Amino acid sequence: MADDSGKIGWGVQRRGRGLWTRNAVKGVRLRDENLRRDGRIEWRSWNPRASKLAAALIRTKRDPTLLIPEPGSTALYVGAGHGTTISHLHDHLCGSDNHHGGRIVAVDLSPRCIRDLIRLSGARSGISPVLADARRLDQFAPFVPERVPWILQDVSQAGQVDLMIRICERFLAPSGVALLSLKAASERWSDGGDEAKFTQAEERLTSSNLQLNERIDLRGFEDQHVMFVIRAD
Amino acid sequence: MHLHWDWRLARVVDAEGIIIDESVWDGVRSSGLVADRIEMVRRKRMTPEARDLFERFPEVDFSSINPEIWPPFTSEEMSLLDQASIILARRGLEESAGDVDRRMEHLVHAVEEMRISWTTMESRVVEWVGLFLTGIDLDEQRRNIVTEAAASSSFEDLLQRLETDSPQHSPTNEEWVAIQGASSSAVEMSGRIKDAELAIRTHAESHIPSLSALLGPLLAARMTVAAHGRARLSRLPSSTVQVLGAEKAFFAHLRTGSPPPKHGMIFQHPWISRSPRWVRGKISRLVAGKASIAVRVDEHGGKAWGDEEIAAIERAVQAVRSRHPKPPSKRRR
Repeated sequence: MADDSGKIGWGVQRRGRGLWTRNAVKGVRLRDENLRRDGRIEWRSWNPRASKLAAALIRTKRDPTLLIPEPGSTALYVGAGHGTTISHLHDHLCGSDNHHGGRIVAVDLSPRCIRDLIRLSGARSGISPVLADARRLDQFAPFVPERVPWILQDVSQAGQVDLMIRICERFLAPSGVALLSLKAASERWSDGGDEAKFTQAEERLTSSNLQLNERIDLRGFEDQHVMFVIRAD
Repeated sequence: MHLHWDWRLARVVDAEGIIIDESVWDGVRSSGLVADRIEMVRRKRMTPEARDLFERFPEVDFSSINPEIWPPFTSEEMSLLDQASIILARRGLEESAGDVDRRMEHLVHAVEEMRISWTTMESRVVEWVGLFLTGIDLDEQRRNIVTEAAASSSFEDLLQRLETDSPQHSPTNEEWVAIQGASSSAVEMSGRIKDAELAIRTHAESHIPSLSALLGPLLAARMTVAAHGRARLSRLPSSTVQVLGAEKAFFAHLRTGSPPPKHGMIFQHPWISRSPRWVRGKISRLVAGKASIAVRVDEHGGKAWGDEEIAAIERAVQAVRSRHPKPPSKRRR
């Protein structure tokens, strides 16, 4: 594999095959990821097998810089899970003590996940956990008072594409980026297998008012998953 | 004219987007109060400001969705919003323990796991004791062996209790302690299963009374858990209810065209498992249909089914049985 070492953003770095984020809470590891010191900066390894966003950054054929939000901006993360990706996003978007002034609105339906996110938000200011059903936009809309430049949706349930279109129409700022991590196994059974489901999703997205930029195959990191990169027109 | 509001203010806006009137929350802003107000907005309830405007303009249309032109949030308001999100997330987390479906889920799974370990422990003890006591009938005495071994103070005591002669080889003292310990664990485990089942029963009889009346509280709870909660079970078609628990056979049917399963866990109902083989499919279809109705009654707050409704269904089941007294001829088609 080619060596693409270099900075992807303020707090995201690629070194050889690995991705690293600038640890906002020095010395603290979320799982058992590696830490690496580089002068006054501590880098925390970002496992592409545990995070689909990291996998997409490695696999994209375009500029990976376009896939992550600007430090200090607001990100909407729908289907936040236990907070692995959120923590790395926070490293980049907020930094230590949120000196960038970024916000991550983390929506999840599961109280078990929200529990972990509440704990995470205690150590990392800038994370707003929201317990809500992603399909009911009014449930989390009060926490997203303005359109946001960056959205990631990873809900792993049927109807992800239509939900993504609704979320983007309501919350995505002009020229913002939205990522849809589509899980084939969650969509209804159809002829033609996973490939057909991804193609169908692609058609639905192209026929909406959104612009489909890239389709990133995450196979090898996360099977049966594709990351769609969407832009608002 | 439209009435819009968020937790900070309410506005009446006309069709051209001109602000007709405005009411701003001017109380002391604490994160707790902000959380309360956001909860009102989420439930589409009016804030005091919205109510105030509504009284002045009773003819407005509602819309809680913020229009594009809305006062931007100050950084102080943003930070209140972030604090409120954590308060609301905590409240939601606390409320989740009030969800009977989640509580039944733990109980039902706990019973499943305990049953698995109980069967292995029980059969281990029976074979273990049987190794020494060659004179006893392992099938007839099966139930006794474990309880008696658990209650015995020594191996000799066990011999007396089971009324059998001294064997050629006896376990060593240490071995006996291990046997007795394993038996006590098995007995204790069966007690714990009963405790958990009692808890399931009480939950099922209040949460899913009609379904419990039809299927028995334990089976009703198991099916509700398999469907991921009462609300979801009530939305499933009865054809799915019929094969809940037979997913392996069902998807094998879709993949390979093998015969579809006739019943899933609903088979545990004696109306089906105690019926002749050739009517089980018909009866399970009937019972699954009634089960879907029952759970919908429970989900939507209907009057719970009693003996009368269940007796009527049992008559229908009887009718199916008597209509097909003999297995169908195999020479059809």
